[in-house]
Amino acid sequence: MIAVVVVRAGQLPAGGAEAVAECAGRAVLVGSGLVDAESESESESGAVAELAGIATELTLVELGDFHPAAWASALAPLLANEPAVLLPGSPDGRDLAPRLAALLHRPLFAGATGVGRQRIELARNGGRELHTVAPGPEFIATLQPGVRGVVADRRLGPPTIASVVTLADDERDPVVLEVQPPDPATIDLAEAPRIVGGGAGLDGPERIAQLERISSALGASMGATRVITDRGWVPHERQIGTTGVVVDPQLYLAFGVSGAVQHTSGLGNPDHIISVNTDQHCPMMQLADLAIVADANATLTALEALLAPAEHEGAA
Amino acid sequence: MDTVVACLKWVTHPGEPHDERFAGMSSADQSALEFALVQAAALGVGVTAVTVGPDAAEKVLRDALACGARRAIHIRGSGSAPSAEVAEAIAAAVPDAQWAWCGDYSLDRGTGSVPAFLAAALGAQQALGIISVAWQSPGLTATRRLDGGRRELLAVAAPAVVSVEGATAHLRRAGLAAVRAAAVAEIDGVQPSALGLGDEAVVRPYRPRSRALAAPAGDDPLDRLRALTDAGAAAATRGETVILEPVVAAARIESALRQWGYLA
Amino acid sequence: MNEDAVDPGTAAVGTQRDVDVIVVGGGPAGACAALVAARAGLSVVLLERGPFPGSKNMYGGVVYPRILDQLIPNWWEDAPIQRWVTRRSTMLLTATQALTVDFRADAWGKPPYNGATAYRPDFDNWLAGHAQAAGAQLITSTTAIGLLRSRAPKGNAKGHGTVVGVRTDRPDGDLTAHVVIACDGVNSFLAKEAGLYEHTDAKHFTLGVKETLALPKDVIDERFGVRGREGVDIEIIGCTGGVNGGGFLYTNLDTIAVGVVLKLTKLGSQQQRPEQIIATLKQHPAIAPLVQDGELKEYSAHLIPEAGLKMMPKMTTDGMLVAGDAAALCLAAGLWLEGVNFAMASGMYAGEAAVEAVQANDTSATGLAGYQRRLSDTFVLRDHRKLHRAPELVLSDRVQHLYPSMVANVVERMFRVDNPNPKPGVRRILNQERKRAGVRRRDLLRDGWTGFRSFG
Ligand SMILES: Cc1cc2nc3c(=O)[nH]c(=O)nc-3n(C[C@H](O)[C@H](O)[C@H](O)COP(=O)(O)OP(=O)(O)OC[C@H]3O[C@@H](n4cnc5c(N)ncnc54)[C@H](O)[C@@H]3O)c2cc1C
Ligand SMILES: Cc1cc2nc3c(=O)[nH]c(=O)nc-3n(C[C@H](O)[C@H](O)[C@H](O)COP(=O)(O)OP(=O)(O)OC[C@H]3O[C@@H](n4cnc5c(N)ncnc54)[C@H](O)[C@@H]3O)c2cc1C
Ligand SMILES: Nc1ncnc2c1ncn2[C@@H]1O[C@H](COP(=O)(O)O)[C@@H](O)[C@H]1O
Repeated sequence: MIAVVVVRAGQLPAGGAEAVAECAGRAVLVGSGLVDAESESESESGAVAELAGIATELTLVELGDFHPAAWASALAPLLANEPAVLLPGSPDGRDLAPRLAALLHRPLFAGATGVGRQRIELARNGGRELHTVAPGPEFIATLQPGVRGVVADRRLGPPTIASVVTLADDERDPVVLEVQPPDPATIDLAEAPRIVGGGAGLDGPERIAQLERISSALGASMGATRVITDRGWVPHERQIGTTGVVVDPQLYLAFGVSGAVQHTSGLGNPDHIISVNTDQHCPMMQLADLAIVADANATLTALEALLAPAEHEGAA
Repeated sequence: MDTVVACLKWVTHPGEPHDERFAGMSSADQSALEFALVQAAALGVGVTAVTVGPDAAEKVLRDALACGARRAIHIRGSGSAPSAEVAEAIAAAVPDAQWAWCGDYSLDRGTGSVPAFLAAALGAQQALGIISVAWQSPGLTATRRLDGGRRELLAVAAPAVVSVEGATAHLRRAGLAAVRAAAVAEIDGVQPSALGLGDEAVVRPYRPRSRALAAPAGDDPLDRLRALTDAGAAAATRGETVILEPVVAAARIESALRQWGYLA
Repeated sequence: MNEDAVDPGTAAVGTQRDVDVIVVGGGPAGACAALVAARAGLSVVLLERGPFPGSKNMYGGVVYPRILDQLIPNWWEDAPIQRWVTRRSTMLLTATQALTVDFRADAWGKPPYNGATAYRPDFDNWLAGHAQAAGAQLITSTTAIGLLRSRAPKGNAKGHGTVVGVRTDRPDGDLTAHVVIACDGVNSFLAKEAGLYEHTDAKHFTLGVKETLALPKDVIDERFGVRGREGVDIEIIGCTGGVNGGGFLYTNLDTIAVGVVLKLTKLGSQQQRPEQIIATLKQHPAIAPLVQDGELKEYSAHLIPEAGLKMMPKMTTDGMLVAGDAAALCLAAGLWLEGVNFAMASGMYAGEAAVEAVQANDTSATGLAGYQRRLSDTFVLRDHRKLHRAPELVLSDRVQHLYPSMVANVVERMFRVDNPNPKPGVRRILNQERKRAGVRRRDLLRDGWTGFRSFG
């Protein structure tokens, strides 16, 4: 197996290192900030450094801006003799993988939690189910970021590196106007040491206001699951998870959150998790240090009442 | 000639995953349909709603017609057919699509791959995982969500496939007369050549994969082992589970936060 | 929104209407009304606010579909039922005692059957499906928010014109018809808007609350002594603490429904929460073994029009009929909790009357009079007349708080063996227990007589 990892300005995407590890260190890094155009040699790219102790054999392909159609045509020849190709399920990986599958006429196994030549595990139905399939000899797959984890092996030597520069242009790609830094509105969330999260267990938009008040009383930031952002109760910048903001707090309070893989894999490794849920057996409760079986909505009301005075002290 | 297409998948409601009577369009597909309707109106053309699914999937097409779609195409087959085949079937049904609007993920399979396959099949541009759209005739500029909270601004021109996240546009409510008309409106049925059933899969409830954990600091192998096993426990149940009345629950949370030092 | 609801466009055109009949509400009443009208060839629209008929509807759990024999031959062959009720028990509870009258009828487990437990989302959806098959157009996720009236004829005191349709919550949501049949359930706001209710009064309603508990089928079979599709229906008195009411316990295939029906007024004054009362009932020594380990699937609550004749509205006005709970036709006489069958029957008769009227081209109150006549001549109003005192009796303080312990004590002493003392005579026990319970002989006789006239 070989990993294909889209690198932007020399930076690995979410799940990039995991994909390389899943492929025992063989990878093609493709994108920008990889190869110095003049010297045709490796430029000081953070990506390669990040993969120390993980990568064994790297091919760097400098292609500039992300252009899925063009990149697919550029990469297809390189991968023709690679039966099994794995991409991280980051936004770029998700969008490039199908184009490769289409060009190489291979089946795509997207959203996998584990990938081997004989056996692939796929998260399905909103992360409620795990589907195990036996792939044919040739396939393309994407790996859910955050589900695997990586261990750098300090004894591993530096990888062999081959560099390629090609120009890939294709009118069948949108023009990239600009890449915007993280929305300021999400930075507090991405870096928050304490997060209060709400899920579909909440019974109305007014609960969100309640969450916010409780968050501020705790000096925490407020986040939500996709079901909640899909309901439009909370802006998308506040969605926690693989397709939202990836966070890494010390404390996470989850109200009515089931803990689907796409949510928890964007959750980092909190020191303390409290989960309030009516379903004692859902993953979020499994992960919690304190799992409380109760109605999240009534509990929020009670908790707000408890914390309200504390808030004033803080203000005073 | 209809050139604006909305790809709508019939899926069960996340709140009622086991009751098909609540099934319909995902919130993402509703946004896709609304964008398609707005754009088509501006271009002075009609929207063609397309679905690949069983007979019951007709519901999403009638809902789309009620909201103002001009034409509906029902490609009969399993909604769980491989994404590539679904996309090819759609492309074959609307080869002249200039704009194809999709949701970013379907709720059931949820790989977000159909739109990319569709772009490949139509030889169209793809702008996927879009969270906002600005009309910039003849095309549009779209904001695409990247990881790490970054975003990418794209200039998109026809022919193109655009996939949008849920709640990026609020689907209009269909008028009464339109609903009545849609209930009896004609729907073009397509029998695709070959639609597989998807992969033979063994299905289990989700359980997190045990994560590889970085070897902790401290060179005493024993410490490391201990630290590892503690951390390892994080994958399984790691804390206590209590069944409490809401008021007691709140008190329990507060005391835990004090105990852990989050509250003075 | 009477006058302003008038859409001059439609009100002006004397006889032009979008459809013949609009039925509001996809419950049992509405489905049957639409079915009958559509079968007769009228153009019918059936409006339902939920995503599908029955989606939001709850009840205790037993339907008596006999009336369907007239609408859907062999209905039992495709009706989505859970279990056929072959055992019916009435329980009298005190804190520590239970007196049960248990009746079992094998015949009820075979065609044509008697009662069945069914889930409303299944049953209502199925029944509405028959209406659709007959040609009625079902429109879901659509709520009727008002009546359309023709301009009041000059000199009409009330200033109410004929009902000519409804306004819905959809854009351009007005729909006109020759007849509107309101089947919008308890507390019908359409019937109120039409001025058919003189007054509505909290003491005319009870609150029904219910828990659905999941248990493996074989466990249910064993605990309730039934097999296959056989089911049990238990009605309970004396289990609702200080709040007047009654309880019920029904078996579905792999769930059981346990609930209570509570007098609204008392509920308020007693400051008790319904779920507490259910919890207490579930802990009663006679009930606990039946519900033990049941996993809570859902908790739901709904109002019941309980006062029968006392609260019934005018059933008919120009261009409009009221059926089912909307017309307070639910029979909730304590030992009886029948509403679905009354709803289906009244809906059916409303449909028939609407057909007559439309065909005779007179949809005024006079033209629609066939409805009231049918109700009076059939069980719908006959049962209500017969039992008109029953609710009051069953929910009276004596029956609720005095008689259960009195009767239970009598029986306990009859069966208790305290040798060497000889068995005391029943009459003596009766008298002593009556006095102990503080029941006046006069009241006992009167209640007995009322009970006899009602139930006997
Ligand atoms: C490709 C893909 C990417 C995705 N990316 C993300 C992402 O980035 N972030 C994300 O969050 N999701 C993401 N999702 C969606 C994810 O799969 C889950 O559907 C979602 O996280 C579930 O959110 P939830 O827990 O709020 O809802 P549910 O899964 O419906 O869980 C609701 C929970 O609330 C509990 N509950 C119900 N009532 C109450 C009550 N009264 N009191 C207490 N608890 C109650 C229930 O027991 C349940 O556990 C993605 C999905 C796909 C397919
Ligand atoms: C706890 C409880 C237990 C019961 N147990 C039993 C029992 O065991 N057996 C029995 O026979 N009966 C029982 N009943 C009574 C029974 O449920 C009702 O009598 C029966 O449902 C009445 O049927 P209906 O069609 O008149 O009204 P409903 O069943 O209430 O149907 C009304 C329909 O109209 C729709 N609707 C309402 N307003 C509007 C609007 N404005 N626009 C569009 N649609 C609207 C509603 O969504 C609903 O679908 C019980 C009731 C309760 C509360
Ligand atoms: N069977 C289908 N019929 C119509 N559109 C579909 C179908 N499957 C997926 N789509 C579209 O593709 C989007 C992403 O779906 P998926 O690739 O399955 O995650 C959906 O939101 C739809 O817009």
